[in-house]
Amino acid sequence: MKTLKITIALIAFALALPIQAQTADEILENYFENTGGLDAWKNLKGMKMTAKVNQGGMEIPLEIYNLKDGRQMTKITFQGKEIKQGVYDGETLWSHNFMTMKAEKSDAEQTANFKLNTNDFPDAFIGYKEKGYTVELLGKETIDGTETFKIKLVKEPLTIDGNPQDDISYYFFDVDNFVPIAVQSEIKSGPAKGQISEVTMSDYQEVDGIYFPFSMTQGVKDGQAQPITIVSIELNPTIDDAEFAFPKEETEKE
Amino acid sequence: MKKLHFMLAVLSVGFVTLGHAQSLEAIDGKALFGDLTARHIGPALMSGRINDMEVHPSNSRIIYAGTAGGGVWKSNDGGATFNPIFDDYCQSIGAVELDPNDPDKTIYVGTGETWTRNSVSVGDGLYKTTDGGANWTKIGFDKSERIANIIVNPNNSQEIYVGVLGALWGDSEERGVYKSTDGGTTWERLLYIDPKTGCADLAIDPSDPNILYASMWEFRRTGWSFESGGEKSALYKSTDGGKTWNKIHNGFPEGKLGRLGIAVAPSNPKVLYTVIEAEKDERKGLYRSNDAGASWEQLNNDFGITVRPFYFSRIVVDPKNEDVVVKGGLSGSISRDGGKTFKDLGNMHSDIHDIVFSIKDSDIMYVGTDGGVYRTWDGGTTMEIVENLPISQFYQVSVDDAEPYNVYGGLQDNGSWWGPSSSPGGVEARDWNSIGAGDGFRVLKHPTKPIIYSEMQGAENVWRIDTERQLTKTIQPLPASEGQKLRWNWNAPMAISTHQPDRFYMGSQYLHKSEDMGDTWEIISPDLTTNDPAKQNQEDSGGLSMDNSGAENHTTIFTIAESTLDENVIWVGTDDGNVQVTQDGGKTWANTVGNIPGLPKNTWCYHIEPSVFDKGTAYAVFDGHTMNDKTPYAYKTTDFGKTWTSVISDDVVGFARNIQEDYVNPDLLFLGTEFGLYITMDGGKNWKKFTNNMPSVAVHFIELHKKTNDLVMGTHGRGVIIIDDISPLRSINNEVLTKTLHFFDTPDTEISETSSFSGNFGAETQFVGSNKTKDVQIKYYLNKRHTFGKMTMVIEDMDGNQIAELGPGKSKGINIVNWNYTRKTPKVAKGKTFSFGGFTAPQVPAGTYKAVITKGKETFEQTFNLVYDKNSPLTEKDRELKETTIMRLYDMTQELAYLVYELDAILEHASSNGDKKTADKLNALKETLVITTGDNYVGSAEPQLRERMADLYSKVATSYDKPSGAELNNLEVIAERFNNAKMDFAKIKDKYLKKQEVQLMSFDDFLESN
Repeated sequence: MKTLKITIALIAFALALPIQAQTADEILENYFENTGGLDAWKNLKGMKMTAKVNQGGMEIPLEIYNLKDGRQMTKITFQGKEIKQGVYDGETLWSHNFMTMKAEKSDAEQTANFKLNTNDFPDAFIGYKEKGYTVELLGKETIDGTETFKIKLVKEPLTIDGNPQDDISYYFFDVDNFVPIAVQSEIKSGPAKGQISEVTMSDYQEVDGIYFPFSMTQGVKDGQAQPITIVSIELNPTIDDAEFAFPKEETEKE
Repeated sequence: MKKLHFMLAVLSVGFVTLGHAQSLEAIDGKALFGDLTARHIGPALMSGRINDMEVHPSNSRIIYAGTAGGGVWKSNDGGATFNPIFDDYCQSIGAVELDPNDPDKTIYVGTGETWTRNSVSVGDGLYKTTDGGANWTKIGFDKSERIANIIVNPNNSQEIYVGVLGALWGDSEERGVYKSTDGGTTWERLLYIDPKTGCADLAIDPSDPNILYASMWEFRRTGWSFESGGEKSALYKSTDGGKTWNKIHNGFPEGKLGRLGIAVAPSNPKVLYTVIEAEKDERKGLYRSNDAGASWEQLNNDFGITVRPFYFSRIVVDPKNEDVVVKGGLSGSISRDGGKTFKDLGNMHSDIHDIVFSIKDSDIMYVGTDGGVYRTWDGGTTMEIVENLPISQFYQVSVDDAEPYNVYGGLQDNGSWWGPSSSPGGVEARDWNSIGAGDGFRVLKHPTKPIIYSEMQGAENVWRIDTERQLTKTIQPLPASEGQKLRWNWNAPMAISTHQPDRFYMGSQYLHKSEDMGDTWEIISPDLTTNDPAKQNQEDSGGLSMDNSGAENHTTIFTIAESTLDENVIWVGTDDGNVQVTQDGGKTWANTVGNIPGLPKNTWCYHIEPSVFDKGTAYAVFDGHTMNDKTPYAYKTTDFGKTWTSVISDDVVGFARNIQEDYVNPDLLFLGTEFGLYITMDGGKNWKKFTNNMPSVAVHFIELHKKTNDLVMGTHGRGVIIIDDISPLRSINNEVLTKTLHFFDTPDTEISETSSFSGNFGAETQFVGSNKTKDVQIKYYLNKRHTFGKMTMVIEDMDGNQIAELGPGKSKGINIVNWNYTRKTPKVAKGKTFSFGGFTAPQVPAGTYKAVITKGKETFEQTFNLVYDKNSPLTEKDRELKETTIMRLYDMTQELAYLVYELDAILEHASSNGDKKTADKLNALKETLVITTGDNYVGSAEPQLRERMADLYSKVATSYDKPSGAELNNLEVIAERFNNAKMDFAKIKDKYLKKQEVQLMSFDDFLESN
């Protein structure tokens, strides 16, 4: 009789488990555990992603570099010409102008906002408490037809057109496997300001023990999205520091 | 113990599987509809009704608009543009309030608009966000229906006061003034009068939040009358945070009172204004108190102040000046002498409901009207409209068979309109055409002629407009004998016939039929209504202020439908609950409403949809909300109304107004309710709410466009919303739901060769509706989201050659992938600048292609056809010439790219070897092949072979036409030039490679490289 009672109690407990509240930290823990382990993530020093986007038949190859010290760069190749966008050398954020193909600095506000994110490699959630971020589980939501945990991440406040604004994003972790499948945040400036940007992630594959999404889409929630296919990921790549440096004005060669 | 663990594991797995059950019964709409997404085409140029405006207390750029039927919109740019922030919830808004202590994050939204006209929507409670609107929680007042005010104590965010106006169409005890002392978790009702009297306005003394003023209003509406005022209406004051209340009527008019507005001057809280609806006209109007309500003095009873109190009673005082007062009204009125005299606000849409002053500068105001939000920069003299609020309120929509098809419909207080479902650059304001005045209701296009029928309220005018010759006449039926009084609904029904294009129906209490487009009329029925005289006293309607606008006309026909299968079968539904059918073209009629089980007597028959599958089959939708009954009712008959069965399930929320049957699958039905769109794929056993870019807005009318399978909705608050091509839903069944991947049929897709010069000139701050895609769409169902491992999609020709790579959708549910039927752009030679012609992707020829999806180890294939426009002037031979010319230039472009690559490699090799002679030769040649100086803008250099070649390629590839003689000539010139270049290069290359070894990629490897 006693055993039966225990059995019933245990079954009741087990049935309660799936609906038992998960904490945000447990979800994040599961995420890092399922994708290679937090230590492996923390040991990453840099990443190079080789990717392509397709714009109306034009396949645009991209190389995206992210380093632990915050340096970043996206190289785009158009008709054999390399164009750099969103390059950050630790101090200056710059991009090539498409018309002149010369380097130009981003405005001070954008650079300052960008600098705030340079401590987020390889994942904003790693050490979020130490960074002063807050994380909150808001509940479950269906994204891409799938049930997810919705987690709110608040980072350092941004400055938008001179006004401070909270930097909030919402991550959606698949309840079955705890990997994020979408991120949403409000677009703060530009023509789409006020709309919600949505990035989705899929095709998770392993690279040297860590799982990364190899397919992403980028767009506005409920609108058209641009797919990005990741061809390969190289961990801890070697790259010349000079690649990040803001170039000195070149004189036209005759 | 180990065994037990195992058992439990199995058990829980079993439960998990149950949760994922794939059946029409179990699956949630969000897990099914996937990429099937609604698009909004507005219009926004006339916008729609606004209920409440709100400004941020410290950031002058932030403004909120609470709309009557289109949700909450927020501006971050001082009112230049707005974005919706409340789409998932009830779209009828009563009040928006920011917590003054946390205005960026904590916002309250009280649902249910409070200007209680006949077509007013209903709310479903009070909502709160603590993150600026990203997430909302309902915090009570489920049965409140309309929330007039929310006030947060400026000294204590936990203390919130809510004024609940409450139910309009019946008794309710959820009314009066409520207070929470715990941030909205629990509520106490502080002031309650009776089930008929609600709180119409609530104000707080900003200098002493214990002082509150509440206006209580006795009011009631029925389908046939409105009553404002009674013994219970009064203005109350509390000085103890709402514990006790006293009437403050010293100086008030005698007798019954109606709706009262109340405002406290922020700069001097002793100064109060109230606007009073009273028995005697001379005692109505604006009253002022200079002693916090101890005494009142009447100041003004101009028309602008006393007009329609139920619709306009908002008073707003300039926060910086107690003597500047603005009052809502037909035109809106402003006083700068403390309320003694008023002038109208500047020209704008009439019916002004709310006004807010900018916190920085009182010359700037934001005004909410029946036609959107207006801004003024000069204190209210000049008004300009906000152009991106697509909150138009449709009563009905219809479509035609043009390509792209047009959408027609009538709008609450904003006339009648038609516009294209797609337009170059998007559906802009200028694409819409006005086609009627007054309140617009139904608009129908003549089935074959360039004629449009439209109407205004109560069929006062029914227009027949020849849109080709711009000729207009009115054709409404007129009394045919002395003493004959025709009773028209405010939203009078009209109908056309699919059998006789010139036939036109209208319904008063009789059914009128014309066979000559409305020139002559014949009554083909007896009075089809209950003709209840108790519901026909509209001249007595209004209460203290007479209000006989025609909006309360009752015992009228409301919907007419002729069967598409038999012109003698006509269905008629009436606002007093009759469902009449004739099977002999009107000779005899049967009222079948008595055969409907579970339907309360006299419930408004809103829509009848005759089936296209069987002439005895029809659907009828009933709306009981004007009898205080918010149950959805929809029934189906298969025997001309002898028996009816309900097709509503528990899934449906909100009273229903319209149903649409699919033309192919009789079990696929679409239902419009007060809170959105529902879809059933099993004849009404299970309904799924559709939420993909589809707000919880009242759907008043649904049309299914036959040729495109587009579902077109007329919403009462968010304009026209379209779901393109619903055909995948036709084949959704329990079997499909269990498949890993199921392709839906791809109909033959016409290659679009049209183009236009569309820039959105001047549309920077305008709403622009999105277009239907012209791409071919590959659609499939996935029974689980693809998250781990590779999933790719390519397009191949039937020989298996890869044409394009696409990013496949990964969602559980329906996925839609667009392909613009082009190949990849050619590989272009590297130069100093871009060759813009080289960015052109060539279109593939018509034919059969296949989409191949690789998911893990599995491969799925679907073939589809691309066809040319049958009206294209090109012959098959022309097509062939065009295709070979394009591909010849495409191949030449890539060959040149390879040549330049080889040249660069040898040049580099030679330079590093110090072979200056070869290097010079190569440089000289290169300068004729590609641009080697300048930039991509006005610093560009003289075009070289690459540019000339790519430009010609692009010119031919982007033309609808076959290559012209000039183009073919030019091609030969370029080809010859290229041949010479190839020979020149070969000489240098051969000579150099005899001496040196240079690593070169093969042509194919080069094409694959970056």
